[in-house]
Amino acid sequence: MSLELVFRVLVFPGFTFISLLTLICDWVERKIEARMQNRMGPTYTGKAGILQPFADFTKLLAKEDIVPRDSKKIFFKFAPIIAFSIFTFAIFFMPIDGANVLTNSSFEGDLVFVLSLVLIANFFLFLSGWASTNPYSVIGATRVLTQFLGYDIPLFILALAPAFLANSLSFSTIASAQNIPFAILIPWAFILFIATLQAELEKDPFDIPHAETEIVGGYETEYSGRRLAFLKLAKDTQIVLGAAIAVELYLGGPYGPVLFGLPEPSYALWFIVKVLFVVLITEYLTCVFARLRIDQVVVGNWKVLLPLSIVSLMLTIAVVVFSQLMGQGMM
Amino acid sequence: MLHFNSGACNACDIEVVALLSPRYDIERFGILLEPSPRHADVLLVTGAVTRQCADRLKRIYEQMPEPKFVVAIGACACSGGVFEGNYNVLGGADKVIPVDVYIPGCPPKPEAIIDGVLKLLKKSRKGKNRNE
Repeated sequence: MSLELVFRVLVFPGFTFISLLTLICDWVERKIEARMQNRMGPTYTGKAGILQPFADFTKLLAKEDIVPRDSKKIFFKFAPIIAFSIFTFAIFFMPIDGANVLTNSSFEGDLVFVLSLVLIANFFLFLSGWASTNPYSVIGATRVLTQFLGYDIPLFILALAPAFLANSLSFSTIASAQNIPFAILIPWAFILFIATLQAELEKDPFDIPHAETEIVGGYETEYSGRRLAFLKLAKDTQIVLGAAIAVELYLGGPYGPVLFGLPEPSYALWFIVKVLFVVLITEYLTCVFARLRIDQVVVGNWKVLLPLSIVSLMLTIAVVVFSQLMGQGMM
Repeated sequence: MLHFNSGACNACDIEVVALLSPRYDIERFGILLEPSPRHADVLLVTGAVTRQCADRLKRIYEQMPEPKFVVAIGACACSGGVFEGNYNVLGGADKVIPVDVYIPGCPPKPEAIIDGVLKLLKKSRKGKNRNE
């Protein structure tokens, strides 16, 4: 039993699986972006360049590790690693092969728990930039928090809509309640959720915290070597986490037709396929849109996205109540 | 890869930008343009080094983490080119920082730059670093 637990945490569907999925998602993103721009993307490292993220990661691990003299040393050294661990820990609460990574660790309210973990991890990304004491990093770091003020509340409200439909606040219950994916039942909430997710993942049109042409690398400007590797891995894990949340809440979770009579591997396969589908959508939006200004994003979030998400939540509740009334009437 | 213009006439810069465009797409080899010297492995220098620029070039080189390489692009960055001996020009990039690969031409074709960068990759793979 305990050996199985160790295997689940470290290998599948735990740490190794999540890291591999993260790197493959990175490759898929680079390929999609390159094809959208009429380029080839990575081709020489491995089959169709699939090993490129692995090569980049190992290269960064081997590089010199510079800690600037004026930086806040402790925060500068540990913030990227803690952010990465928190994002990975949050994925542990997603039912990947029909069960959570730690079996039976799902509880009523882990949706709220995971969303608060995302908040804490974002705060560590802010700390990483703030601890660099480089003007560009500090600007990038404050932009992380400013942007977060705008989209956190709509994200939470939109995550509540599937919770109302499934009458539960736990990921596994919401995922298993979707005979028809909620994206089809309540498309208005799904579209808004993808838009807010785009802001959470700091992708175009919301990639203000690391806007290359304005503030160099944003909060990661001063990082080099293995700390940069972990910071980049943390960002990519955040993308997988965001995609996984969208999959669990709106696309029916890991559940799909069982292949070859093997439920758990086929659930894991469906999970990967759906995560890649969400990554495809976000990357498509990234390529299509140009960057907004930070004030436009905050104003847009408070004046447009927040009212819209409240309206969509009310619409969802109305649908739920109406269908319940119809059900009673038919009985 | 980080691109630094130490006083070029923009011809070499346009050829470097062409490397990132769909026609030559240097991301095929896993090479990306990085915004910060802390993230970069290779510094591309275009243009003759002016007295104003020498300090900046040196500082950017020192900000890069080891192991790092420098590619001098164009006749000016190699030796000073037609600006050799001018009162405000120090000469090629190797007057200020150690250069690994010289790519002559005015400006060099993007193919030549890709060839130079790939020679640098092969060189670094064999471990023939200039520090050894």
